[in-house]
Amino acid sequence: MVEEFFEQARKILAEQLGLEPESITWDTTFDEIDADSIDIVEMLMALEDIYDVEFPEDNLEDYKTMGTLIKALYQVISAK
Amino acid sequence: MRIAVDAMGGDHAPQEVVKGCVKAAGLLDNTELILVGEQRVLEQELGRCNWSGKGISIHHASQVIEMNEHPAMALRKKKDSSILVSTMLVKAGQADAVVSCGNTGAQMAAALFAWGRFDGIDRPAIGTLIPRYEGHTVLLDVGANVDVKAEQLVQFALMGRAYAEVALGIKDPKVGLLSNGEEETKGNQVTLAAYARLKSLEGINFAGNVEGRDLFSGRADVVVCDGFFGNAIIKVMEGLMSELMKRMLDAGINPKQFLQDFDYSQIGGAPLLGVNGVSVVCHGSSRAEAVYNGIVQAERCVTREMVTSLKQSLAII
Repeated sequence: MVEEFFEQARKILAEQLGLEPESITWDTTFDEIDADSIDIVEMLMALEDIYDVEFPEDNLEDYKTMGTLIKALYQVISAK
Repeated sequence: MRIAVDAMGGDHAPQEVVKGCVKAAGLLDNTELILVGEQRVLEQELGRCNWSGKGISIHHASQVIEMNEHPAMALRKKKDSSILVSTMLVKAGQADAVVSCGNTGAQMAAALFAWGRFDGIDRPAIGTLIPRYEGHTVLLDVGANVDVKAEQLVQFALMGRAYAEVALGIKDPKVGLLSNGEEETKGNQVTLAAYARLKSLEGINFAGNVEGRDLFSGRADVVVCDGFFGNAIIKVMEGLMSELMKRMLDAGINPKQFLQDFDYSQIGGAPLLGVNGVSVVCHGSSRAEAVYNGIVQAERCVTREMVTSLKQSLAII
């Protein structure tokens, strides 16, 4: 389940950044792929639409890798 | 026409924003201003102005994104912020354009999130018209994106080209890339990569690298740079104009005759290019006159169907 969520998220982010999805892994940092805050927020908005959920207004900038952010977001979906 | 004005954004908000709107309401017959912000505060400010009672309504928004806040994250946290609410009014069909003197990054992010971007454009750019002896030069980006990738500079070039066609009526405008020298080998890593892309791009009249002075030489009709340099350029120009005005006044010369075109309060603002709507970015320190002229700019962009025209121009490439 979390893997499926990760696949969806990385596909969205890869499309935004013009990258191959496979280049984004759990350990990839947002700096490594030049994803800025707008990219991250747009990815979140797309995921919110797909999963019909609202992610909390945590300090998103504290999440440095795809893995840490996805795990935190997945917990919100699981709790729904 | 209805224009949503972010009444809480800017160094002199809401007082000067409200004054600018009152002037616009008095002069622009077919335009209604929607003041977006803290209702009680805006009612008080309107009460202090010589307002006729017509042409202005208030739409309450309880939050403000401050100048020092991180734009995208702040928008997530402050869903009732005046800039986001203003932008959503356009999305809902309750307004035709947005004008703001507030956090530029937030204004851009709000437009992106609410309206979406043109196909093939990553980030919108703020395009301004620099007066020169004969005509104008389009300069972009003047502040929406302080760090860019080479491909984004290429996209700015395409948007600038389209804007020069639409706003200035120039056929096949010459597009230059701002650099520290004219030679192809000059530039930083980002501009060198952008140069290589632009040189090989069909459908664009690429003038090569241009230098700062070429904003006024006519070598290019469009000058492309990142928002960091673009913003620094327009602020240097403001400072220089202020300096020249003082010296002219000392010499007994009326500066208005020569420098009026460069007065940002007369220009008002510049549109965000690349989003599916009209959002005019005004100087953060705008006072009433600049706000009024920003509203005039927004009105002009809507009347001339700027968004549709830009898309048509981009589609040709």
